[in-house]
Amino acid sequence: MPDPIHQFDLERLFHLNLFGYDASFTNSSLYMVVVVVAIVGFLLYAIQTRSLVPTRLQSLAEMAYEFVAGMIRDSMGEEGMKFFPLIFTLFMFIFAANMIGLIPGAFTVTSHVIVTAALALLVFLTVIIAGFAKNGLGFLKLFVPDGVPIYVLPLVSAIEVISFFSRPISHSLRLFANMLAGHITLKVFAGFIVMLLGSAGAAKFLMPLPLIAVVGITALEFLVAFLQAYVFTMLTCMYLNDALHPSH
Amino acid sequence: MSTQKQGNGGSRGELRHDDKEAFERRLAGLGKRLGDVKSREAAESMASRGRSSQNRGMAYGLRMASELVAAVLVGGLIGYALDHFLGTKPWLFLVMFILGFAAGVTNVMRSYDRVQRDVAKTTGGNIGHAVPDDNDD
Repeated sequence: MPDPIHQFDLERLFHLNLFGYDASFTNSSLYMVVVVVAIVGFLLYAIQTRSLVPTRLQSLAEMAYEFVAGMIRDSMGEEGMKFFPLIFTLFMFIFAANMIGLIPGAFTVTSHVIVTAALALLVFLTVIIAGFAKNGLGFLKLFVPDGVPIYVLPLVSAIEVISFFSRPISHSLRLFANMLAGHITLKVFAGFIVMLLGSAGAAKFLMPLPLIAVVGITALEFLVAFLQAYVFTMLTCMYLNDALHPSH
Repeated sequence: MSTQKQGNGGSRGELRHDDKEAFERRLAGLGKRLGDVKSREAAESMASRGRSSQNRGMAYGLRMASELVAAVLVGGLIGYALDHFLGTKPWLFLVMFILGFAAGVTNVMRSYDRVQRDVAKTTGGNIGHAVPDDNDD
């Protein structure tokens, strides 16, 4: 049976050593470049004509814009549109990385926790910096909910602090775990097909069962790839909204 | 009707009786077809809204579990680190672990509130259909 974890192995393509750190160009880096090139290429090609009646590709690009802009306006109002470049980039990067990862043989960038943690920390630091820049020390009101009696305030504040610091964890773990689990499941079920085919006797005729399962799971994975990009983006909007309006 | 000329045998403005009947029949048919198309479109938009809210429901559901677990993890970690530096093993860990659980429950309740608000916004507050009561007293 093929090793289901093997698909997540990192391989150094070019060796590179920067100030004592191993900064080699790996297959993960390669696929990040592929993702970014695919997004930029698609968007530039799609808006080439810029016609009033859009071509199919142009309307796809417009749909992506409208989708993210609608999400921002829903959660933060017009004020949030200054974060549009960040949020649109995050959405497109995660969505494209998840989708390209579904191509058989391709590497899934978002299945490594270090990548999703870096993205989540980027959002977390943006929230903190934007919060203090906009509200000054008023940002700390986030940890002091209104209408709480003074004698339980330390307890409630401690809970709020933990809840605040749990955000980057759940933000990154959710995306990483979903992608990892989905790809392992696909590999394991695909391995069953080979095992059953290679087995002697009547077990051979059970082969269509995992095959049907793999087809179904692949469809589900396409849904998950979109949903996880959507959830990540929606939570980013929600956290940034807290930075703009710290009181609950 | 204002342009009709009198005594002109009804050749332009005024329709003859049977023509008028046919015209009214066609008008009624058109009205009916238009109504059909409109109701079909309304049903389709309802269905697509249902689908999109179903997708969003799945997105919310996937979130809840990780919110809870992450808060417990972070609470435990903070407690463990404080214990390590202050030398108060294992008391702060236990306290922060429980507080982390409380924070997790708070997180889940908050996201549930948000779901409720979103659903109320998109459906205008009426969720599902009214069902006739079986045991009317």
